[in-house]
Amino acid sequence: MTVTHTQMPSTDHGHAGLAGETRSEWTKFRSVRSTWICLFIILLAGIGLSVLLTFIQAARWSQSSLQERATFDPVAFSQSGHFISQLVVGILGAMIITSEYSTGLIRTTLATVPKRYTVMAAKKIVIAVVILVIGEVTAFASFFAAQIILTAHGGTELPAGASIVTQVKSASIPVVTIMSPGVLQAVVLSGVYLVLLSILALGLGFIIRSTAGAISIYVGILLVLPIILNFFPSGFKNSVEPYMPSNLGIAMVVTTTRTTDWAGVLLTPWVAVLVLAIYAAVFLLAGLWFLQRRDA
Amino acid sequence: MISAVGLSKQYGKTKAVDDLSFEVRTGVITGFLGPNGSGKSTTMRMIMGLDRPTAGKAFVNGKKCQELKWPLREVGALLEAKSIHPGRSARSHLVALAQTNSIPKARVEEVLDLVGLSQVASRKAGKFSLGMNQRLGIASALLGDPGVLLFDEPINGLDPEGIRWVRELLQALAKEGRTVFISSHLMSEMALTATDLVVIGRGKLIADTTVENFIDSNTVATVLVRSSDSSRLNEVLAGLGGSITAQDDGSLLVTKIDGTQIGDAALSSGIAIHELSPQQASLEEVFMELTSDSVDFHGTTDAKAAS
Repeated sequence: MTVTHTQMPSTDHGHAGLAGETRSEWTKFRSVRSTWICLFIILLAGIGLSVLLTFIQAARWSQSSLQERATFDPVAFSQSGHFISQLVVGILGAMIITSEYSTGLIRTTLATVPKRYTVMAAKKIVIAVVILVIGEVTAFASFFAAQIILTAHGGTELPAGASIVTQVKSASIPVVTIMSPGVLQAVVLSGVYLVLLSILALGLGFIIRSTAGAISIYVGILLVLPIILNFFPSGFKNSVEPYMPSNLGIAMVVTTTRTTDWAGVLLTPWVAVLVLAIYAAVFLLAGLWFLQRRDA
Repeated sequence: MISAVGLSKQYGKTKAVDDLSFEVRTGVITGFLGPNGSGKSTTMRMIMGLDRPTAGKAFVNGKKCQELKWPLREVGALLEAKSIHPGRSARSHLVALAQTNSIPKARVEEVLDLVGLSQVASRKAGKFSLGMNQRLGIASALLGDPGVLLFDEPINGLDPEGIRWVRELLQALAKEGRTVFISSHLMSEMALTATDLVVIGRGKLIADTTVENFIDSNTVATVLVRSSDSSRLNEVLAGLGGSITAQDDGSLLVTKIDGTQIGDAALSSGIAIHELSPQQASLEEVFMELTSDSVDFHGTTDAKAAS
C-alpha cells in the first residue's frame, strides 16, 4: 500500500503562516450554511427594516410631533437596519471561533500552525473583510432606498445650514443626497460600525469559547447594559451613556440632528470609531491572552 | 521520532500524567496502552502542543511541536474523530486544512480516495457514521504526508473490515519508515498490530518495551497436565519443586518446572500423560494483571453500590 503520489512542495523554506491560514479560514467560513444565512439576514433585514421604518415615518410626517420632527435624521434613519444587523454580525463573529470549540475542530486548527495567534489573526481578517463588504453594501443600499422613499413622499432637500427650526416647520420630510455635508462619511461609518462589532464579538468568542455564552454576553453589552444604566443616578448615567456601544453606532451615522436632541449623548463620529475600536482591541487581546495560555 | 521527558500534567490535585519519559522509534508501530482514564489522550495532546505540560517536555523530531515550521507536514494526528464541523463537507474540511500548510488540492483527493470517502466527500460531515468520521480523521492526519503519526484509538467505531484496513494501513505507514504511535485500551489489538509498547496506568509509565518482551517478562511459564493419576503426579511434581494448582476437571496447572521435567517424572513414576501443553498468557491477561492497581474507574456488580 503506497500512501503518497502527489508531489508535495518543499518544506525547506518558509513556514506555515498567516497567508495560508487566512485562505483556510476563508474556506471554512464559506463552507458552512450558517454563514450564508447570517449574511443574508444582514443584507435582507438591514435593508428591509430601514425601508420599512423610513416608509412609516414618511407616511406620517404631517402627524408627527415637533419632537419627532426635530430628531428625524434622514441618514441615521436610513440605517435603522442596525437594530438587527448589529446582532447578527456579533453572532457571526463569535461563531467562527466558538463553533470550533464546540466541535473540537479547534485542536485540529491549532495543530496546523506554529503560532496560535496566527489563527486569531486569520479569523479577524476574514470576518473584518466580509463584514466590511456586506456592511457597506447594506449601508449604501439602505441609504439610497430610504432617500427614494422620502422623495416619493414629497420629501425635499433642506438648504445647507438650515436650522432645526426650519426642519420642524417644514411641511415636507427632509431628504439628503450622498453629497450633502457629512452624509458619505456617515454611510461609510455605518458599515465600519458593524465591522468593529464583529471583531469585538470574535474576541468575546475566544474568551468565552461557548456559543451560547458568547452571544448572551454580546447581546447583554449591546442591549441590556444601556437599560441597566437607566437605573443609575443621572450624573453617572449621562457621563457613561455616550460610551455605550449602541450609542457609538448612532454617533457614527447621525448627520443633520447632531446639534439637537442627541447633543451631549453622542460623541463625534471619529471619536466614536476610536472608542469602539479600543473596545474591540481590548476584547481581542483578552481573547489572545486566553488562547495562548489555556489548553485547547 | 517522538519523545517525552518527564512529561507531567496536573489538573487540580489529580495527576493525569505523572513524570512520563519514553521514546517512540521510527519504522515500527508503537502501541500506547492503558486503561480508560490513564492519561493517554492527555499525553497525546501534550505531544501535539495543545495542552501545556505542568512539567517536562515532549518532542516531535527533536523539536517542540510549536517549533515545527510546517506542522501538518511533519506530524499528523487523529485525536478525536469528532473534531469536524458537522455542517462542513469532508472535502471542504480537508481543503481548509491543506491550505494552512501549502498542501496541493490534488493531495486532498488522494487522501479521500485512500480512506475510501471519495464518494461521500461532498456530504456534510455531520451525517457521517462514527466509522466514516474516523476515516476522515485519518485522512486529515495523512494529509501532509508526515513522517510522524499519532492516532488516539484509531479503530473506535470501525467495523471488522475497517479495523483490518486500519491495521494494514498502519503497518504500511510504519514500513515506509514513519513513526506510528497509536493508543488503545484493547490489548488484543496491540498484540496484532504493534511491535513496541508504551504502557501506562494512572499517568505513570508501567513498561516501555517490545510486545514480545512485555509478554515474556510478565508471564510465568505454566504447563497444563492431564494424566491417568492426578493425585500421585501432584506429589511427584511437588517433590521436584513444582508449584501445582489442581483444577476441577482433574488436570494440573504447573509452574516453576517445564514440560520436559514433567514428562520425564511421569514416565519414571509410571503415570500416563494424556495432555501436556504450555499455556500462553495473552497480552490482555498480562495487561489486566499489571494495571489492576491503576484502574481509576472499577466497575461494580454490587447492587447496593449501584443504587
